[in-house]
Amino acid sequence: MQTFELATILAAPVMAAVLLALLRGRARRYAGWIAACAALLSMIGILLLLPALQRGEAPVLGMPWIPTAGITFGLRLDWLALPFVVTEAGVTLIAVLYSWGYHHVDERSHLYYALLMLFAAGMAGTTLADSMFLFYIFWELMLVASCVLIALWGEGERVGAVALKYFLFTHFGSIMVLAALVLIYGQAGSDSFAVLRAGVRLSPALTSALIVLFILGFSVKMAVFPLHLWLPDAHTVAPMSVTIMLAAAMLSMGTYGIVRFPFSAFTLEQVAPFGRAMMVGGLVSAIYGALMSLAEQDVKRIIAYSSVSQMGYVLFGLGTLTEDGMVGSTLHVIFHAIVKALLFMCVGLVVRATGRRLIGELGGLGRSMPLAAVCSGVGVLAIAGVPPLALFDSEWMIFAAGFQSAHVWLGALMVLASLLTVAYALWFWVRIFFAARPDGLVLRQVSMGMIAPTVGLAFLTLVEGVLPGPLFAWAQHELPLLLGGIW
Amino acid sequence: MSGELLLGFPLAILAGGAVLAYLIARLFRASGDVLAVFVAVTLAAAIVPLIGIRAGPDARSGWVLLSVGSVLLLGDPGALVVGSIALGLGSIVSLYSSRYVVDPDRVKLYYPLLVLLVAGLLGMVLAGDLFSLYLFCELMSLSAYALVAFQRGQGTAIEAGFKYLIAGSLGTALLLFGISFVYRAGGSLLLVSRPAELAQDPWARAGIACIWVGLGVKSALVPLHTWLPDAHGRAPSSVSAMLSGVVVPSAFYALLKVGVGLSFPVGKLGGLLVGLSLLNMTLGNLMALVQSEVKRLLAYSTIAQVGYMMFAVGIGLRYGAPDAIQAGFYLLLAHAAMKGLAFLCTGLRSSDARVAAWRGTARQLPLVAAALAISLGGLAGIPPSAGFVGKWLILIRSLRQAELWALVTTFVFLLNGLISLGYYLPLIGAAFRPAGSTHEAAARPSAWIGVPLVALGGLVLAIGIHPAPWLGWMSGVGPALLAWGH
Repeated sequence: MQTFELATILAAPVMAAVLLALLRGRARRYAGWIAACAALLSMIGILLLLPALQRGEAPVLGMPWIPTAGITFGLRLDWLALPFVVTEAGVTLIAVLYSWGYHHVDERSHLYYALLMLFAAGMAGTTLADSMFLFYIFWELMLVASCVLIALWGEGERVGAVALKYFLFTHFGSIMVLAALVLIYGQAGSDSFAVLRAGVRLSPALTSALIVLFILGFSVKMAVFPLHLWLPDAHTVAPMSVTIMLAAAMLSMGTYGIVRFPFSAFTLEQVAPFGRAMMVGGLVSAIYGALMSLAEQDVKRIIAYSSVSQMGYVLFGLGTLTEDGMVGSTLHVIFHAIVKALLFMCVGLVVRATGRRLIGELGGLGRSMPLAAVCSGVGVLAIAGVPPLALFDSEWMIFAAGFQSAHVWLGALMVLASLLTVAYALWFWVRIFFAARPDGLVLRQVSMGMIAPTVGLAFLTLVEGVLPGPLFAWAQHELPLLLGGIW
Repeated sequence: MSGELLLGFPLAILAGGAVLAYLIARLFRASGDVLAVFVAVTLAAAIVPLIGIRAGPDARSGWVLLSVGSVLLLGDPGALVVGSIALGLGSIVSLYSSRYVVDPDRVKLYYPLLVLLVAGLLGMVLAGDLFSLYLFCELMSLSAYALVAFQRGQGTAIEAGFKYLIAGSLGTALLLFGISFVYRAGGSLLLVSRPAELAQDPWARAGIACIWVGLGVKSALVPLHTWLPDAHGRAPSSVSAMLSGVVVPSAFYALLKVGVGLSFPVGKLGGLLVGLSLLNMTLGNLMALVQSEVKRLLAYSTIAQVGYMMFAVGIGLRYGAPDAIQAGFYLLLAHAAMKGLAFLCTGLRSSDARVAAWRGTARQLPLVAAALAISLGGLAGIPPSAGFVGKWLILIRSLRQAELWALVTTFVFLLNGLISLGYYLPLIGAAFRPAGSTHEAAARPSAWIGVPLVALGGLVLAIGIHPAPWLGWMSGVGPALLAWGH
């Protein structure tokens, strides 16, 4: 039965996409429902597999695909993939629900939801794939589907250019990943991840080259400075529900890649020389993202740059190569997904209500939109790392890891960098909701379909902050799978 | 039935088909539809004997020889694969032509020419000696010149055909020149069982060089490619599909066959191919990037794609890796289907050739837009398309070599994939963007157009998603080519 549930996680969104494409215009009104059902099924599939994981099993599904080239079709769910696949499925569900209110039903709605589902399938497949060929296919499906969504439903003048930039830039990262995958495959002779789990033994030069290729390639997807250039434009132009999936779920895939490939295939000694570079990269990214958030005028870009900053925290945590760093980074990915989705939803509410996007033209909304103000407040306080909200726990662990690492001074700088985060987060909140209200600001009614998921996420942010226990336990299960199982 | 006779059948069927097609058109005043179906069936029927030839377990026993008069046919696995691909695409293009080439006075010439084009191509790849190779190459080329200039009333068709004629004739003249040199050196024109020391003879070397330049013109090796964008860009779209999809790659196969057949050292041949391939893919992709006309863009993309095939085969020959050669031929098959499909799509938007004019296609002609996206996505190598599988198979081999040269060339290969996205994606994007101010009402394509598009699109997807049987079909190509050279 496990194979069935495993297949459901992936097959539900794929089938929904096919169904929506086949029904065409007829499905227009039900398109959102179909997509939500598929997202829910996907989530249920994961939850049903949890007991098996707790028992120490790893559900698998495998069959030969291109036997002459040793390529298999393999899916597998293990503790390493679980946090990421849960994040992906959860964000998809929320983004689809938010779309109900955000997306106007028109003659292309079925396509919109079908592509959202393909995007979700790409991410689910990326996390579940158990062979390199398949991994790369889903990795690119994710890119293709999201790029089409941006190109066709994006807002603004330069949609085509932004979509092309997004595709080319992230594809450049993909090529590095592809080269690294093929190198491992060529040495091992099998494209199954079993090779990685067994530990890959290669010449030191090749090992270093592989680690660099993987980390650089996945850093493009994580949008770490200076590989982030695609992110602000893509996140700003994309329709809000796509932005939520891009920012909350797809950025996590870069982290998953680093955890899955260099960190699971190689030992601590092999990865150690790159730890400091990762920490520095993360630190620079955290500071740069925060500064850009302070400097930006467009509310959507402010939150977009905040992702660059937050992914810097994650890379920093991974770079510490400590137990706390790994768990903290994984938790940070999950919490960041929740909080970033929440913040983008709040931005969506504000933009939909006012029709304005420049922060200088907004202000004093606290009185007229109290719910949005409270939800945003939860979001910005969380991202600023205020206890007891979600991101506090993971940030704490990442900072602690920084001080446990060999480079204490980097840890200290990281704590200082987080002050910038507090600055832009609070400025954003105060400016929009409590500053003087500019003249001529007319508010429109925002649909309940957009407000309800926002409130739900704000509540979740509180809950996860107070009760991080279960997630913490999940993240800890991945430790034996990392860096040669030293923990 | 013995393999030798089977080898003669396809050419006999095509020769008869060409004559019959002309007679049917002339005597019965048959409509284009009847001719199209007749030619499609003829070409499809010619595949059957080719598929029927089974290669033996040993590479050399995979050869089938048939001599008819002074013509020697050699059915090596690669030739059988390339020939079958050409026949298959020709059959589909013929069906498509029924609604595309509609001038009633001209169809009686179009279909026989199409059959002769494929017959020449098939003869060229099956040729077992240089004489027959030249003969069939000329047959193919002459039909191609006429077909390029077929829409003689339209714009620069005559000019493009003439340019093609001049360049192509120079190529065939050099080919003939080289053949005479080779004959002087060894007194034999056979491409099989030549003594290895013959390649050391200066006359033979000069001959091989001339033959390579001659066939290089046909297969658009940079810098001998200059005729291609004009010819492929101006020809009727159905003809462009054939020229880009099969004619150019098959000329490349003939070039390969001559190289190994005349005992040119395989390792050096591979190195040469890899070096030339870099020129082809880089120039092809960069030039395609700056094109504003869709058909010229696709023509330059063919130059780049031939470069990818050369790269794969070159790596395979240089490092003795049959699976890389197999990957090259897989790419040849995929490219034939994808490029054929892309050109057939352009035929339905012929009123304006610019990229921007494709806006609004998704709304007006959803089938065409979908077919275009499938074919271009495949050419760009986006997973899970056939183009990606080919790229992966090539990379596995090329990255396994510890040599710096292999890594550098592989890097160029990967970079080229990235560059090519720069022109494929905007074209796909344009097709799916809403139309601009100039709203052009497009006629709904009939089933005659729809069936070939769906068939080719389905084929592209099938090759990509389930590559195993196709790869199995080509498994003999690599070992045969490698064994040939030793």
